[in-house]
Amino acid sequence: MGGIRFARRRLLLAAMVWGLGTMAAAQAAEEGSLRASDPSRLPAAARARHDVVVSAISEPQGIFNPYLFHNGWDENVTQVIFANLVGLDRQGRPVPQLAESWQVSRDNLVYTFKLRPNLKFSDGSPLTASDVEFTLTLLHDPKYDGETDISLANIKGGADYKAGRAGTISGIKVLDPRTIRITTTEAGAVTLPLIGGPVLSRAYYGKNYTPGHLDGVRTQSARPLGAGPYVYDKYIPGQEVRFHANPYYYAGKPPVPFFIYRITSDATKLQLFQTGEVDNDRFSINKDNIEQLKSLGFANIDIYNSSDYSLVEFNLKKPYLKDVRVRQALIYGLDRQKLVDVVYQGYGSVATEAVAPGSWAYDPSGVNPYAYNPARARTLLDQAGWKVGADGIRVKDGQRLTLTLLATRKLLTDALIPIAKESYKAIGVELRPEVSDFNALLAKRKAGHYDLATFSTSLINDPNEGVHDFLTSQSVNGYHNPQVDRLTVEANATLDLKRRKQLYHQLYQVLAGDPPVIYLAYRKVLSASSARISGFTPDIYNGIITSLPHLKIVK
Amino acid sequence: MRQFILRRVLLMFPTLLGASAVIFFIFALTPGDFVDGSISLSPERALELKALYGLDHPAWQRYLHWLWQLAHGDLGFSLQYQIPVTELLDRYVWNSFLLASVVLVLYWGLSLLIGVTAAVRPHSWYDRLVTLLVFAAMSFPVFFLCLLLIKWFAVDLAWLPVGGMIATGSESRGWAHVLEVAAHMVLPVLTLVMLQAGSLTRYFRASMLEALALDCVRTARAKGLKERTVVFKHALRNGLLPVITLLGFELPGLFSGAIVTEKLFNWPGAGHIHIDTLAARDYPVLMGFTLFLAVLTILGNLLADIAYALADPRIRIR
Repeated sequence: MGGIRFARRRLLLAAMVWGLGTMAAAQAAEEGSLRASDPSRLPAAARARHDVVVSAISEPQGIFNPYLFHNGWDENVTQVIFANLVGLDRQGRPVPQLAESWQVSRDNLVYTFKLRPNLKFSDGSPLTASDVEFTLTLLHDPKYDGETDISLANIKGGADYKAGRAGTISGIKVLDPRTIRITTTEAGAVTLPLIGGPVLSRAYYGKNYTPGHLDGVRTQSARPLGAGPYVYDKYIPGQEVRFHANPYYYAGKPPVPFFIYRITSDATKLQLFQTGEVDNDRFSINKDNIEQLKSLGFANIDIYNSSDYSLVEFNLKKPYLKDVRVRQALIYGLDRQKLVDVVYQGYGSVATEAVAPGSWAYDPSGVNPYAYNPARARTLLDQAGWKVGADGIRVKDGQRLTLTLLATRKLLTDALIPIAKESYKAIGVELRPEVSDFNALLAKRKAGHYDLATFSTSLINDPNEGVHDFLTSQSVNGYHNPQVDRLTVEANATLDLKRRKQLYHQLYQVLAGDPPVIYLAYRKVLSASSARISGFTPDIYNGIITSLPHLKIVK
Repeated sequence: MRQFILRRVLLMFPTLLGASAVIFFIFALTPGDFVDGSISLSPERALELKALYGLDHPAWQRYLHWLWQLAHGDLGFSLQYQIPVTELLDRYVWNSFLLASVVLVLYWGLSLLIGVTAAVRPHSWYDRLVTLLVFAAMSFPVFFLCLLLIKWFAVDLAWLPVGGMIATGSESRGWAHVLEVAAHMVLPVLTLVMLQAGSLTRYFRASMLEALALDCVRTARAKGLKERTVVFKHALRNGLLPVITLLGFELPGLFSGAIVTEKLFNWPGAGHIHIDTLAARDYPVLMGFTLFLAVLTILGNLLADIAYALADPRIRIR
């Protein structure tokens, strides 16, 4: 409990993500990997395992279908079992997986995927373009209620199919068993990950499926079949998920015959690692945990950037927060460095833009960092007409500057609330925190009963996910800036990464001038693995999944 | 007697109806629903999903729908786990039951023994020492006690496993499996017995003290019966009567799961369902599980009443 548990779904992905810190970042603390100092101290329990690697997971729920799960830990399980057409590299750039290559037409609307030769599912049956067609069609089923919103890919004819006006989706064409062409109606960077996701077998999942009836597919979530590095064996609820190596994996059968996800909890994961029950886990990042892991001697430690970040959202529907000077003052007037120091103890940094260090799109140069400056904050509030009243709190037209802050109980907000209260009092703003659970926070936010709301984002794979909510059409907090709208849409419609990076950089500068939120902190992730295993090279976009086919037992 | 039981059983139905209404509307009042919890959904998709889950109907309609399902013996379908609620409960409840029943037997036995022996010699050094010990055990914070036991017995001494119900990757069968589960149960059982034995010991002691002061006990002693016969035959029977009601209350506890202890020992019980499903607003599970516990509570009461009536002819009412 405690820790970084946050919005379920995508967010919980954080449960199993690992990675290697990349350049960037103005951090004082070291990052990267620390090798085990004394592998001979390996506990007997770990030494006794000859053919299995045990990694950790928090709370899988048993829905092992990449399009039906409701929880990031189930997603982690499906990533072991299923393979994507297109994956992500260590900086979040798309790379080929099951697809050997893909081409995008000049107008960014038509995608042609070429599959690798002789692909097979783990039961030995062939994986062809027809399976990709089946997967994408299933996602357009009107009864589909999973997490994937395929409508964002704007596949031609998709809406007609969903509404029952067409029997097939005109934009999906299988050209030959290894080639499939997807035609879309709108260019977008979100399209590729959506259509290049995990592939379901038509032979396996199709036999229990008729359009409009997903129950058959749903029951198969307990017996998944994919083309990933390991094959699902068994799920023991509350205990573990077991797998064996997939002999038909496209990159070759993984050398370690068995893999287990053992269920651990924050309170005892260190003890489980220490006694050798698990080979690899992720821990809350702080000095104590790092020191303890180091002292074990047999732990290889990885510290790397996470792709999520925390923020405080302004409710721009409140007239007093419409004034950009008030919002700027609230950023200048908040001692975020103190917050980062307290919470992350050197393993985090003050956030300045809507993408985290480690992403290909991260570039803080020229973006106003809003370094803590209470004097500047006071001046801005004075200029905005908020004058200090008798009790030290600012008043304008008879209204006191009292702001409510919606928050959930977690480590970050436990520190944020006292720091923000104190910082804001010093500039004449009274803060009233309202702590509830996350669902209640979102409900209050939706109803508009708040001034400020703090939460963390999901893990962000594509920079569009960080700015999408600032679009006038999408924003919950009433944010409206035509320049932001234009740049956001343009950056998403551009597929060339160099050009996209420039556009996002411009966008982050505009957003800093007219801030919709206060960015709080970027954080790092701490993971450790037993020295008896080599090959763990985790990163935030792939977790340990890309490491799995390369793991070896060394001792 | 039959009439008494029949009347009590019939009374269960209005009670349950009331409980179901309270359960439903309390959960309906909590802000947010299953779909609201997802920040990454587009507003259009959120509306689609609400319609698919039937969350777009007014609360009274959903309540009637739920009642209709219940009348057909259907607890509903978990939104989060995507399996029937009964199947979900079946998956975890028995592990909780195993743990809780062992704990129940142990701590009732222990409390009975300590309570009675302490009552026989009230205010002796034994009574004082036992009182001190049970209170000390009871006043440990659960969290701390669990971690302390893990540190001592699992990490430092390495006698017992840190957590879970079986060893990682274990394929054991038969007796080997039983022993393995037993080894994993030792620490959680110890924790729960330590935490719960205290108050029950006091109940037994107080009730036994009262019984020892009864006229019939004095008469028995005056008859010249042996002290052992007096205590165990005459006093204990009377002393146990009020405790029967307490035993009835234990019934729901056998299935509800110990939230913190199970979590800390990674015990795959029902405890975590409360937290997970509340956080996710998985109403069918929340309501189904709470109703299940409500039924057990009412049933426990009924059983206690019947047992009491059987044991004590004086309260047999019509």
